[in-house]
Amino acid sequence: MEKEEIIVQVQNIFRDVLENSSIILTPNTTSADIVEWDSLSHIQLIVEIESHFDVEFTSEEIVAWKNVGDMVNFIFSKKR
Amino acid sequence: MIFNDFIEKITSSEFCFNVTEDICRHFQCLSGDMNPLHTDTEFAIQKGFPDRIMYGNILNAYISYFVGMTMPCPDVMIQAQDIKFRRPFFMNDNIVLMSNIEKFSKAVECIVFKLEFYRIIPDGRQLVANGHVQIGLLHDKI
Repeated sequence: MEKEEIIVQVQNIFRDVLENSSIILTPNTTSADIVEWDSLSHIQLIVEIESHFDVEFTSEEIVAWKNVGDMVNFIFSKKR
Repeated sequence: MIFNDFIEKITSSEFCFNVTEDICRHFQCLSGDMNPLHTDTEFAIQKGFPDRIMYGNILNAYISYFVGMTMPCPDVMIQAQDIKFRRPFFMNDNIVLMSNIEKFSKAVECIVFKLEFYRIIPDGRQLVANGHVQIGLLHDKI
């Protein structure tokens, strides 16, 4: 799975969980760019992303992500 | 409690609740909902039901019990829940809540349970509602 495909799938998860079909993710997107992305929805996003991609994160890994690009890179590395 | 220990202690479970007149009255006091579908048998029959139907949201109270009182430790909080009502249930019905872990995340220490509510009928069980509840594990801050 390529990174471009991963970000599209992550974007679909964001749109579904945050109930906002206009969300567009780029590698530089952060929580500051999406008003619905708060601490509680962050938990729901992680649960759905782990389930969708069948990967498991650690809290340390998540904290290290600075933006969506870091998340996508991490998923990409786990799915290779 | 450590999340790994917490989740290992959770098993599939079943709880049975009897929907009594007293529970109905307390729910009416809490919600203020006196819609005749729940209070007037003739009205309910006119709408095609065999009797006045119970408040579906009573089931949400049973979710609260499930999370608040049956987890391996009290350090839990509901983060989200959804419920779909499939069939009505009635006064004095016995309602069985069945729960199973659907997914969980160690990274954010949360668990999503799949929930199913059944009413006991003479020849078995009838699904009345299903849904999910997502809970998070709390830790001491002081």
